[in-house]
Amino acid sequence: MANSTVKTIADVEFGGELPSFVPDTSIEATRRFGKYVGWGTPRFTDHEGARKEGLPGAIVPGVMSQGFLGAMIHRWAPNAEIVAIDTVFRAPVQVDHPHTITGVVTDIDEDEGTVEIDITITNEAGETRVFGTATAKLPT
Amino acid sequence: MILDLHTHSIKSDDGRAKVQNYCQWIRTRGIPIDGFVLTEHRQYDFESDYSGLAEQHGLVILKGSEVETEYGHVLVFGVTEPLYDAFDFTSISLPLEEVIEHCNANDAIAVPCHPGRPRVGMSAHLAEHGIPKGVRIVEIYNGGSRADEDAVAAQMAEDLGYLGIGGSDSHIVSHIGRCATEFPDPVTTEAELVQALRAERFEAIPRQQ
Repeated sequence: MANSTVKTIADVEFGGELPSFVPDTSIEATRRFGKYVGWGTPRFTDHEGARKEGLPGAIVPGVMSQGFLGAMIHRWAPNAEIVAIDTVFRAPVQVDHPHTITGVVTDIDEDEGTVEIDITITNEAGETRVFGTATAKLPT
Repeated sequence: MILDLHTHSIKSDDGRAKVQNYCQWIRTRGIPIDGFVLTEHRQYDFESDYSGLAEQHGLVILKGSEVETEYGHVLVFGVTEPLYDAFDFTSISLPLEEVIEHCNANDAIAVPCHPGRPRVGMSAHLAEHGIPKGVRIVEIYNGGSRADEDAVAAQMAEDLGYLGIGGSDSHIVSHIGRCATEFPDPVTTEAELVQALRAERFEAIPRQQ
């Protein structure tokens, strides 16, 4: 079962699932992101331009995907300080394809007040496109 | 018994899982495996002793390696000091047939892993290098591969008459046990694992989660 929200390290259980969500991976969202961060490259903002680069279509920028993962952690633990997000991009996160962000607690250090979270982004076929771990510090 | 034959811990450069957390996860989540083999990239971990953890959690924890050849990545089971001295585990371009010969001479066994993947899988290199001598077993179910990549692996195994094993290729805790291999006889040591594989007494188990 997914924990709705946690406030302190004492609320966290090993194996506890973070509330998963489907992020906005639309072309409009990546165009907005590109505009705000100053990236106009077609691989993120234009399907046809991305195909010309040999990609299957536009892809979500890696740091935007990491932003989704961070958002999931803060929805779960609004008081958490994200110490690290460490991701492996196994395959592109494709724009205009639904993806699901999930997280699960796999280590708790009550002395340090930190938790380790396995994080994944899967596509509609259930394929893991991005995985990794995040470390978050919670109030003790 | 069921073993996940392909896992990585923080000993691997891209591994993020602590071995104790693998054990805790397996028991907390009721993952249906009896143990796992740590196959760290381009090395063999002689130092770590996981016997205490294994006993505490009632699991079998064995060690192997994942080396890199011109045919892609290859699991090596039954690593000993003589085998470790026989070739450079840290190399990223080992000749597969030599690795197999060294394994055969040292009571070990080499198993190409995720052979359906581009670049790091064996099937992608057959056209260039031909069919390698000495391969008997390949990993047909890999928890980190896409379904179409596992399909390529299974087809290659069928075409070339190879047997298949399964392993999760987990790099994070929650991915362990995604694929595994079932043995009819107990396997509690690396030597017994090699023996069971050489005796061809095993069956690959596809993705469970």
